[in-house]
Amino acid sequence: MPTDATLLPPDFELASAYPETGWLRQAAEARDWAAIRTYFDKLPYETDRSVLIRAVADVPGVEDFLREVVAAVPDDVLALTMLGSREVAIGWSIRTAARAEHVSRDQFRQMHEHLRVGEQALIRATALDPSFHSAWAERLNTARGLQLGQNEARRRYDRLAAHHPHHFTGQARLLQQLCPKWGGSWEAAHGFARACLLSAPAGALSGGLVAEAHMEHWLDLPADGNARAAYLRQPHVHAEVVEAAERSVLHPDHRPGYGWVSVQGEFAAFFSLVGDTARAAPHFRALGNLASEYPWGYLGDAREQYVRHRAAALGRSGRG
Amino acid sequence: MSQAIHHTETDGIPTLFAYATGPVRAGLVFRVGVADETLAGAGITHLVEHLALHRQGLADYHFNGATKAAFTHFHVEGAEHEVVAYLHGVCASLADLPMERLETEKEILRTEEARRETGRLPLWRYGAQGYGLSSYPEWGVRQARPEDVRRWAQTWFTRDNAVLWVAGERLPAGLSLTLPGGRRRPMPQVTSALPAAPAYFSDGTGGVLLDAVVADTTAARLYAGVLERELSRSLRQEGGYSYTAASDYAPRRDGFATVTAFADALPAKQDAVLGGFVDVLAGLRAGRIAQADLDAVRGRSDATLTAPDAAVRRLPGAAEDLLAHRRPRTLDELRGELWAVTPGQVHAVALEAEGTALLQAPAGHTADWAGYTAAPTKSSYAVTGKRFASVRKDGTALVVGSEGVSLTAGGDAVTVPYRACAAVLSFPDGGRRLIGTDGICVEVEPGEYGIDAHTMATIDAALPAGTAVQLPPRQRRPEPVARESAGPGEGRGPGSAAGRRPDERTRRTVGQKAVLVIFGTLAGLWSLLALMYTVFGFSDPETTTGEWAALALFLWCVGGLLAWPAVRVARGTRKG
Repeated sequence: MPTDATLLPPDFELASAYPETGWLRQAAEARDWAAIRTYFDKLPYETDRSVLIRAVADVPGVEDFLREVVAAVPDDVLALTMLGSREVAIGWSIRTAARAEHVSRDQFRQMHEHLRVGEQALIRATALDPSFHSAWAERLNTARGLQLGQNEARRRYDRLAAHHPHHFTGQARLLQQLCPKWGGSWEAAHGFARACLLSAPAGALSGGLVAEAHMEHWLDLPADGNARAAYLRQPHVHAEVVEAAERSVLHPDHRPGYGWVSVQGEFAAFFSLVGDTARAAPHFRALGNLASEYPWGYLGDAREQYVRHRAAALGRSGRG
Repeated sequence: MSQAIHHTETDGIPTLFAYATGPVRAGLVFRVGVADETLAGAGITHLVEHLALHRQGLADYHFNGATKAAFTHFHVEGAEHEVVAYLHGVCASLADLPMERLETEKEILRTEEARRETGRLPLWRYGAQGYGLSSYPEWGVRQARPEDVRRWAQTWFTRDNAVLWVAGERLPAGLSLTLPGGRRRPMPQVTSALPAAPAYFSDGTGGVLLDAVVADTTAARLYAGVLERELSRSLRQEGGYSYTAASDYAPRRDGFATVTAFADALPAKQDAVLGGFVDVLAGLRAGRIAQADLDAVRGRSDATLTAPDAAVRRLPGAAEDLLAHRRPRTLDELRGELWAVTPGQVHAVALEAEGTALLQAPAGHTADWAGYTAAPTKSSYAVTGKRFASVRKDGTALVVGSEGVSLTAGGDAVTVPYRACAAVLSFPDGGRRLIGTDGICVEVEPGEYGIDAHTMATIDAALPAGTAVQLPPRQRRPEPVARESAGPGEGRGPGSAAGRRPDERTRRTVGQKAVLVIFGTLAGLWSLLALMYTVFGFSDPETTTGEWAALALFLWCVGGLLAWPAVRVARGTRKG
């Protein structure tokens, strides 16, 4: 139970939170397309399956297998999407997560080459089936990496939302695009996060975007001086995140869908940073010892930060 | 009433007739157009067309002339005797052009040209020759001599290179067309400046434009219609990114047709229009052809084919077909084809179109991410020869070799080989612009590269005959960093249009705009100050007249200095 799990070291393994991703990885390694295809075909339409697609796309060398599948069945939208996603993953791994000024020109060139190849597979996927929301969600990644523009990203999100109005992965990717680091503005980022929260059904993950926007804003401020602390101290910021948590993961209707670990983590991290350990605690309890790189990597060493803030939250708030 | 086109002959000229009531309509069509000209002689067909119409004066019936890529039309509408008089007059003029009007008509053409908005797609697709010439200014008009114009008319505007069409109750009585004999001219050669397709280039701010060359079929015509509906739906109705989304289908009459599609864009929405445009094309390519769209386009086409004036409306096109040795098809044949087209056939056209597509993305945007190859803006090699480094020491150099001229910067080069030089523009200040048949330009500025007179003479001597174009003095020499000539220098992003720009002046950059605005404003404010001092300072008892004059002069000089950068930009560039 959570009380026990919260004593364990954090577990960043995707398959610990979503066991089916471990199984899908194995199927991809075994090049068993029929099994993968069957698994996805059985998912309800509205399932945000980007986490699952990414699990396959993160398997090293899987691109060869996916290319064979696409060559055999050129109109397989799922295979095209996975192949596109794989190219995006390769591209971003070349770029690394470093800030742009630390990435070499050659790294950018190679990254863009992979993103272009990926984008073309994804263009075909959305052309064949404009209602396939996972492909649109991937195309938000390519739009950002290839710097195709704010309006183009928004257009892609609108195409996605036309078929799936509360697609959490798509929303989170557009939110990144709307941040100033990708050419957006804080006004646009906070506005979009809030709009997603208000339009989503009670208990949906979309509320996590409000916390994410504030975390991004906080991180963007200079680390020296007290700008970051001052940002978080603003009463309206705290109030907005409290409301977002209550309407999403703390709501009785909440069911943990794909992405819930990072959303709970966002709230836990936000309240920990503000020093509101009491509000951080329920999120840590919900997590048990599950963790994701985001948002903890934003705070420093992910593992260390997680352990430290969890201890602070659960230690002081008591257990029970 | 017969919905058919009848074939007959008038004074040896093949004639197409369709029955129609009301005023008589007629057209005399010749197999000659811009694509038959050379870059240095461009505009001569247009000049002949203008001269041929001059004697019509201010007739009160409706008439017109039109010079297209491969055909020239003389069109008239009026009473029978008016049509007879018009056609007779045109033929008489063509046989004996009113050369006393030559200079005046040249002036009129220059005025017309200033208002003409030429598309950039032809020059990127075909180069600076053949069908690509429609993108260029009519550089041949200024220097056309009476004997050139006369020879052009005698070669192309002949009885054997013409077709007449008439719509009326009968062929007008007394119709007589006296034209010199000649021979039927083959269709212009189709050249290519695109090594790979689909391709793109970046230019302009108006929106996204695309064309593709496909086999001229009814399915292709329907594809153009379906494309327009899809563009309109996704860019206008769904997204609201565009106000206009349209397509056009133009048979080239050589078995192929050009499908053109366009969507305009607000400056702030260009990225979304480009993205949406790419997706619409991808959708059709993927075979997503809605039956409802196909039916709607088919219905509209059928309405055109069954309209009472269907045969009449087809006459000008049928005349072009006949001139191109293509049998004009009957309305029944066309309707039969129309109703037989399947979504699969439209899909096949979409795939064919992809293989030849050329997309014009708004300046600052690329389309390589969507699988479009950047159309070349530089050459694959530089000539070897004598090297002249830029006097500005900016790393660019002009290389004059025995087989051509190159402009180099770093590893990049633009080259015009003499044997493939379409035109060389010469300015009285000694500057030259060499334009290759592939559309690539090299600016040869003796002053900027310290080129001696002997070398300049060598270049002039090496250029093929008939390529020289003498232009009037220009306001400003191009910068040594050859922005106009696809300069391998600054500001040349991937797919930049710089290398193929036919304009005299470069498009203003953002920096230049800023200079224009900032210095323009400063100069304006300063001049106001100077003016106030000049007016009110004179009556100031504290200063002598000499002091007043000196200070006023100083203030005006500063104002002039402030204005200078803005004036330079304003004169040397055109609005982007």
